[in-house]
Amino acid sequence: MRLGRQLAPVAAFVALAVVVLVLPSFVSAFRAQQLAYVAIYLVALIGLNVLTGYTGQISLGHGAFMAVGGYTTAILMTDYGMKDVWTIPIAALLTGAVGFLFGLPALRLSGLYLALATFAIAVSAPAVIKRFEGFTGGGSGINLFGVPELTASLTPVDVLGRELVFNDWLYYLTWTVALVGYVLAWLLLRGRTGLAFRAVRDSETAAQSSGVSLPRYKTLAFGVSAAYAGVAGSLFAIATTFVNPDTFPIALSILLLVGVVVGGLGSLVGLIAGAVFIQFLPIWSQEVSRSPGAPAVVSGLILIALMFVLPMGVAGLAGRLRTLTKR
Amino acid sequence: MIRKLTLALPALVLVLALGTGAAIAGSTRTQADPGVSEREIVIGATTPLSGPFSSVSSVTVGANAYFKYVSARGGVGGRKITFKYLDDQYDPAKTVQLTRQLVEQDKVFAIFNSIGTEHNLAVRDYLNANKVPQVFAASGSTTLGRDGSKYPSAIGFQPSYQAEGWVYGKYLARTRPGARVAVLFQNDDYGKDLLNGLKRGLQRSKVKVVAAEPYEPTAVDVQAQVAKLRGAGADTFAVFAVGKFAIQAYVFANRLGWKPKLVINNIVSSASNVMTIAGEGGTNKLVDATVSGVFLKDPTDPKWQSDAGIKLYQQILKRYAPGANAADPYHVYGMAAAFTLVEALKKAGRTPTRAGLVKAVAALNVTKNPFMIPGILIKTGPNDHFPIEQMLLQRWQKTSWKSFGGLWGYRGA
Repeated sequence: MRLGRQLAPVAAFVALAVVVLVLPSFVSAFRAQQLAYVAIYLVALIGLNVLTGYTGQISLGHGAFMAVGGYTTAILMTDYGMKDVWTIPIAALLTGAVGFLFGLPALRLSGLYLALATFAIAVSAPAVIKRFEGFTGGGSGINLFGVPELTASLTPVDVLGRELVFNDWLYYLTWTVALVGYVLAWLLLRGRTGLAFRAVRDSETAAQSSGVSLPRYKTLAFGVSAAYAGVAGSLFAIATTFVNPDTFPIALSILLLVGVVVGGLGSLVGLIAGAVFIQFLPIWSQEVSRSPGAPAVVSGLILIALMFVLPMGVAGLAGRLRTLTKR
Repeated sequence: MIRKLTLALPALVLVLALGTGAAIAGSTRTQADPGVSEREIVIGATTPLSGPFSSVSSVTVGANAYFKYVSARGGVGGRKITFKYLDDQYDPAKTVQLTRQLVEQDKVFAIFNSIGTEHNLAVRDYLNANKVPQVFAASGSTTLGRDGSKYPSAIGFQPSYQAEGWVYGKYLARTRPGARVAVLFQNDDYGKDLLNGLKRGLQRSKVKVVAAEPYEPTAVDVQAQVAKLRGAGADTFAVFAVGKFAIQAYVFANRLGWKPKLVINNIVSSASNVMTIAGEGGTNKLVDATVSGVFLKDPTDPKWQSDAGIKLYQQILKRYAPGANAADPYHVYGMAAAFTLVEALKKAGRTPTRAGLVKAVAALNVTKNPFMIPGILIKTGPNDHFPIEQMLLQRWQKTSWKSFGGLWGYRGA
């Protein structure tokens, strides 16, 4: 029984990996590309969940952290001739450092005040990016399509003896990163650190009195979370083959928070559903009506309905089903 | 031997099957590019149906109405035109994804009149590499016309922003020597191209730009910028702002008691409905000092009330886009672009091909676009990817625009 409980998550993960591996054989190359974006959002959601779901710090500014990662990749590729995949770890480190530094002033803020402060970064990010035009390309942004450092955009790439076109390459790249990121987050959260994070979330006073260092764990959570967002932003730049200030709008930051809430705060399993939701909701809502303004209203209504039916997100639904079947 | 035969036989069968299959397909339709069938041509676009810039999507609605009208009357060469447009919320990252969807999943023949400068530039390399025509992009970005040799499949539509700014500069240089100009501009390619064009038009003249203040398109308002400009001691106010920001420029300048002798307003935000709101019910006199460029027939301009083109426009909109506001000139823009595409498709081959369309849009000579001001040509060449290079100037008088002077033309600016 005990062994089964420990093996269950591993078995579920292996099953997921197998599904991810074989799925492209059953869907079109275009669909594979859409699913690549699901993986990208999944990476960002894992990061945001470490911060918001596990440590209880609300961030409305993760789109800005994604922008840091995306621009790191774009600038390294175009100005320094670095191959796209090698820019990903650099984007992770750099954005992680930025997140850690932002975590320091954030220590003095909590709850709604922190949410507002992070929202301010998301709002100011486009203006800051435009300010350094020589570096970031300003409003016109940086184009990556056709740049030799971008893998497979013009000619297929050979990976382990298989020829991959751009869409399939994106799919495998993003999902590999997402699955590795998933395992790392799981390892981090199941141990002492995860326990400390949750203690901070549930009661800062209680955590502190049990010897949990608030500054240490809060800044750590910010750093880890931002590193994930940076990786997501880096992959986003590679997949979109273009970055400009408008590719990381305020709406993206809000959408990420929506994804975490839909997936289920403080749970990893629901996040895939959250990522699917934020990738496909805009596409689905257009199928309902294409008259001006209508897609936004449809998205809003679906979200409201979902919050009524699944207040704890998809992970909450899974939990509820489990208790039902036990009875 | 036998083994060889067993290998060869299926191969032979396969070749035969493919051959006859191809022959059958060939007999029913000649080799067609994606998006073109016996009865249909499918074209695609991205447009902001939602979000803060959703008012611009009227362009797409107007174009769609015109395609429906043409299709109902037999289409182009017996093929009806299906226009598939998707909501990118004015986010270039979404434009990229949706354009890929249109090309790879929906198999459109061409991308037509997608909205936005950065949005069109974000997909230009992709479309060009895949040889998908990107025709009449809804942006006045100069690079769309200037870089036609590098991107043969991309072409814009309206006069470039730089050319428009240049006309204002020349107009000021000729009629207002000694004028001091203060410029409010949007901090992106659109605003900067207008400003650069203005400065180029003012070269070697006695007119000076004394202040230029940028604002972010994501800003809430432009009050601070207008206040700064007011302090610059200018007698001419150039508004290179869009939508609500243009209206705010008028309103704040009025509230601050600033009375420039002349206001220059750019084409994108000089629609009658914008000017009427900026007039604040007749209390804001600044609108009456405004000069702007124009190349389309404004549906609210009394001058066109009995014009055949505007009447056709109203009929089409009423029939094929019920509920759409006929006073919105963005609809006219969409129809003018759609009309031009239909003209180009007629010349893209009996069975239109992508290469044929690219060739046709680089050899345009449309003299009678019913939705455009008479006399303005749509003319392109192998080395000229600027379809519209003429405009008229107009002055706001109480309730409507009144054009004055002759056509202003320029080449490849």
